[in-house]
Amino acid sequence: MINEISKQPSPMLQTNNLTKRYEDGVLALDSLTLEVNPGELFVMLGGNGAGKTTTINLFLNFIEPTSGEASINGIVTHKEPLEAKKHVAFVSENVMLYQNFTAIQNLDFFSKIGGHSDLSRDDYRDVLNRVGLAEDAHNKRLKGFSKGMRQKCGIAIAILKDAPAILLDEPTAGLDPKAGYEFIRLLDSLRSENKAILMSTHDIFRAKEIADTIAIMDSGRMIMKEPAANLADQNLEELYLQYMAGHDTKAAG
Amino acid sequence: MLKIIIEREIKDIVSSTKFAVTFAVCVILILASFYVGAAHYNLNKQQYDASVAENLRQMEGLTEWYSVRQHKVFMPPQPLAALVTGISNDIGQTADMLAGSQVITEGSRYNEDPIFAVFRFLDLEFIFQIVLSLFAILLGYDAISGEKERGTLRLTFASNLPRRTYILGKLIGSFAALSSSLIVALGLGCLFLPMMGVPMSGDEWIRLLIIAGSGLLYFGVFLTGSLFVSAMTQRSSSSFLLLLVAWILAVMIIPRASVLTAARAVEVPSVDHIANQRSSLASQLWAESRDAMTNFKPDIDDDDPEAMMKIGSMFSQFMDSLGTIRNDQMSEFSDRINEERFNAQQIQQNLSFNLARISPSTSMKLATSNLAGTSLELTKHFRDETRAYHKVVGDFIREKTGMNPHGGMIIKINDGSEEPEPIDPSELPSFEYKPIRTATAINAALPDIGLLALFNFLFFTGAVISFGRYDVR
Amino acid sequence: MLSTLIQKELKGIILSPKFTATFAICSILILLSVFTGIREYEAVSDQYDSATSLVEQELQDESNWGHMSTRSIRKPDPMQIFVSGLTYDIGRWSHVESTRPIKLKHSPYSDDPIFAMFRHIDFVFIFQFVLSLFAILFTFDAINGERESGMLKLVFSNSIPRAKYLIAKIIGSWLGLILPISIPILLSILLVIIMGVPMNAIHWATLATLIALSVLMFTFFISLGVAISAWTKRSSVSFLLSLVIWVMFVLIIPRASVAAAEQMVPVPRISEIESIREAYANDRWKTFYDISEERWMTSSNMNEEESEEERDRAMWDNMVLEDSLRRIVEIEIEEYEVRLLEELRQRKAGQERLAFGFSRISPSSAYQLAASGLAGTDIEMKDRFEESMSQFRSSFVDFTEKKQAESGNTGGIMISISTETGIDIKDGSDNSALDLTDIPKYEQPRRSYAQAFNSTIIDFGLLAFATLLMFVASFIGFLRYDVR
Ligand SMILES: Nc1ncnc2c1ncn2[C@@H]1O[C@H](COP(=O)(O)OP(=O)(O)OP(=O)(O)O)[C@@H](O)[C@H]1O
Ligand SMILES: [Mg+2]
Repeated sequence: MINEISKQPSPMLQTNNLTKRYEDGVLALDSLTLEVNPGELFVMLGGNGAGKTTTINLFLNFIEPTSGEASINGIVTHKEPLEAKKHVAFVSENVMLYQNFTAIQNLDFFSKIGGHSDLSRDDYRDVLNRVGLAEDAHNKRLKGFSKGMRQKCGIAIAILKDAPAILLDEPTAGLDPKAGYEFIRLLDSLRSENKAILMSTHDIFRAKEIADTIAIMDSGRMIMKEPAANLADQNLEELYLQYMAGHDTKAAG
Repeated sequence: MLKIIIEREIKDIVSSTKFAVTFAVCVILILASFYVGAAHYNLNKQQYDASVAENLRQMEGLTEWYSVRQHKVFMPPQPLAALVTGISNDIGQTADMLAGSQVITEGSRYNEDPIFAVFRFLDLEFIFQIVLSLFAILLGYDAISGEKERGTLRLTFASNLPRRTYILGKLIGSFAALSSSLIVALGLGCLFLPMMGVPMSGDEWIRLLIIAGSGLLYFGVFLTGSLFVSAMTQRSSSSFLLLLVAWILAVMIIPRASVLTAARAVEVPSVDHIANQRSSLASQLWAESRDAMTNFKPDIDDDDPEAMMKIGSMFSQFMDSLGTIRNDQMSEFSDRINEERFNAQQIQQNLSFNLARISPSTSMKLATSNLAGTSLELTKHFRDETRAYHKVVGDFIREKTGMNPHGGMIIKINDGSEEPEPIDPSELPSFEYKPIRTATAINAALPDIGLLALFNFLFFTGAVISFGRYDVR
Repeated sequence: MLSTLIQKELKGIILSPKFTATFAICSILILLSVFTGIREYEAVSDQYDSATSLVEQELQDESNWGHMSTRSIRKPDPMQIFVSGLTYDIGRWSHVESTRPIKLKHSPYSDDPIFAMFRHIDFVFIFQFVLSLFAILFTFDAINGERESGMLKLVFSNSIPRAKYLIAKIIGSWLGLILPISIPILLSILLVIIMGVPMNAIHWATLATLIALSVLMFTFFISLGVAISAWTKRSSVSFLLSLVIWVMFVLIIPRASVAAAEQMVPVPRISEIESIREAYANDRWKTFYDISEERWMTSSNMNEEESEEERDRAMWDNMVLEDSLRRIVEIEIEEYEVRLLEELRQRKAGQERLAFGFSRISPSSAYQLAASGLAGTDIEMKDRFEESMSQFRSSFVDFTEKKQAESGNTGGIMISISTETGIDIKDGSDNSALDLTDIPKYEQPRRSYAQAFNSTIIDFGLLAFATLLMFVASFIGFLRYDVR
């Protein structure tokens, strides 16, 4: 750990007492503080409605924080959203993408608005191969794609942006086991490119397999945060359920 | 089982915002069209009464019937024509009974008040044609593909439900929910008529009822059509697009395009051509009369003290008989060429309307305008009515003056012995316009109503069949 | 960057199946409208030609200058192919004679009511009803649709300013919809050339302006769709909303405003006015005849014992006097009539102002009014023609009266009854053809391009303003849009 800190002096993704209360009064995020350093893969676990998507939305300034702040590469997102977003790529929960475009056309569009107008078809092909989309689907329209195939395209878009930080909201939802496995390898290689990765997921086993840091969220609070190494010999699922139950009784009591 | 589906469908429709919004708009528009129709009728009635009164007033003070130079009659406004204007505003609504031996109807409303021709009328028929059909599509386009997209179709067919029951329930449920709301709107609209003092006879109520019925059938065509298309397409966006294109074609394009193309394919002698023929005959007859006149030599004893008077009356008689002969020849000729034109028009009309009937919108328009008495038939009907009255006026004038009203020549010798008395314009028999008879109107509308019912049936069957093969996954 | 966004928008439109279907329909409809328009124009032109030659024939057949009458015929104009406006509703011709004022009658629709049943299709109709609908259908989910598919999140996870994105969106959809319809528009211009429609420079300029106007109207509906989608979260809501607004703008407001104006400014019917005039005329003539009768009576009674010669002279004087008095009565009646008609016109103008003022709430009716104003088939059309025909009438009547006086022919039929010779009838005509070389010819009213354009400035401005308003609304809506 000491070793890690000395290696990465400034966190790439950071929140500071980040709080979000929606207009209808729901406290979706309650003083969340976290940091993700370059080369670190940070996994958020937590039940439905725990506040994971809210966190990611705050990073992307899709919503304004009630208090506190989120920053990317030291840039506070709700102050300089455009500047901040230059340094981040995003894989969304359930993206439909442009149904009438082919995979390559979608990639082309998004890489261009992501600031890479110099990429060739071969680059797109490479990255699509890298995420494991079958060759014959590259030039097909997205309309006929399965959820997993769409997800792969979404991931490819994020890779193409080549940003130092990556936000992923349940990226593995809908991926088949092989693709899931490949995705894990992919994340691994992205991490080795020194990217800061923040991922929300419900896939405890994969999380344990790959994460550097694991956090469990509940009702907008981070109720646990441990380096994955510390949990290596524990049954994470049990731990998760245990934490949730404990929190529930705490909340009830 | 069917009952459950129908109930669910009705509840689903009635509770949706789409239904609330579209029917609010529909109701407002239907009510507006009734209100506007009633107000328009009342105003028209006032104007009509004023025109009739002024027409009689201008005769006041005249001392001789033959010095009345014009006697105009007008097409009286009809309550139903205010709801379904048809062509009533396009054709001549005025005829001068003293203008000549022929009745010429002139002065179409749109020509005289072009302001109405710019955007035309907001009548019930228009609301039916455009708004009802559009809203039927709006409510029906995603009936099946929408359920598929939401995933409810899969869930529904996880139970042991026969497809036929499901689609039947859907059709019945949606038609029941939507048409009953429409009936309420129409019923409310009808209230405007008595409330605003529009006089409606029993016959007219029956006709209005059938008009409303045709409107519902027309609505049904688009509703079953939408379900049919929805049962053929997998995605609601494509079913909407398909329906919208069909709607544009059916409502706006097909009727117009088919009349424009078919009508030009049939040769109909133009009005100008007929007028030309008539005027050349008239001048020929006039020339003959003139020859006869110059050869007129009264056989009178010069010494007769009454000679002057006798010559006068003999000449009058002579002129009168000449006039009668001319009239007879003219009207015989006019009848013939008018008949020819009429027959050609009939062929033209049948051809183009039959072609246009590909679109249910045509059938609706023809049915409602027939029922309201504002179809093409009205041109002929008004002409016949005015012609009949023309004879009455002619007889009246002849009786009063002893002369042919269209002789074109009047000799009056006044010896100053008697003080002329003013005529009484109210003696003139009034123009009792009888609208097209109800039985005739209904008969004329029946084929198109039948056609609408057929469309309903076809689309209904189509929907059932294609849903049998629908991919519910 | 901007160009990437625009390109994406363009491709998004062009690649969609929605586009192929609508593009095909629009092309067919625009071409169909122009084609049928040209054919109708040819048909009415033929009719016009035969009618004018008939009128000339009739004039040639006249053998007497007295009370000569003719007809003036409205000439069809090529612009009616694109904007039929009121051409088919307004009378084709009017009698031209001294005793009756000008009144256009026999509208094409009243002659052939079969065409009135469903009416015509023209370029403006297609734009107003079909293309406006398509414009809205392509844009109603421009923003919220992207939100629903998660695209907005993805796009704005990049450093893209919102304004830029929206501009790209609007420009892209505009180009995506305008470029394709420019093809059938160009083709229809080609059709006009190929089918030999006689278009002069003014016509071309007007047509170009009309196309610009149509594009502006189209732009309005595009920006309306974008604005609606930028103010609503769900595309199902904006879909419903935009359809309702479309129905209101295109179908209801124009008609409803005329109906309202009809109730608020009642205008008497022309037949009523005509009867009032007739009553006045009858009244005037009656006094005239009464007085003249009295005069005849007194003159014939008083000169009982004078010589025949003197009696004849007195009679002649009387006749001259009566002629001039008759002229005065005629003028009085005409003046009365002019006053009546002027009053009616004023009222109608008031009604029109109100109706059109209301209707301009809807940019669609502003478009229609502007288009018909450009093409000269607007509501002023009737007045324009009747005015030019009235001018023709006075020059025609002056001319024939002058000729009549020169020829010294009484005209009409002279019947003399005498106890000696019985009845003697002369029909006054000298049966020789008249010299028609200098006879005035009816000139169709001419409008310069500037006049045509000026009549549309208000509506042009309104349309541009409405479009701008929608742009601003889209921006405001989108800048505060919740992209999640
Ligand atoms: N727009 C919103 N308005 C009001 N409350 C919201 C809104 N979006 C989310 N919430 C609430 O905020 C809380 C956190 O939601 P969030 O979407 O962040 O959860 P999540 O952890 O991503 O859940 P899941 O695992 O289901 O994706 C929930 O209680 C949710 O109801
Ligand atoms: Mg979530």
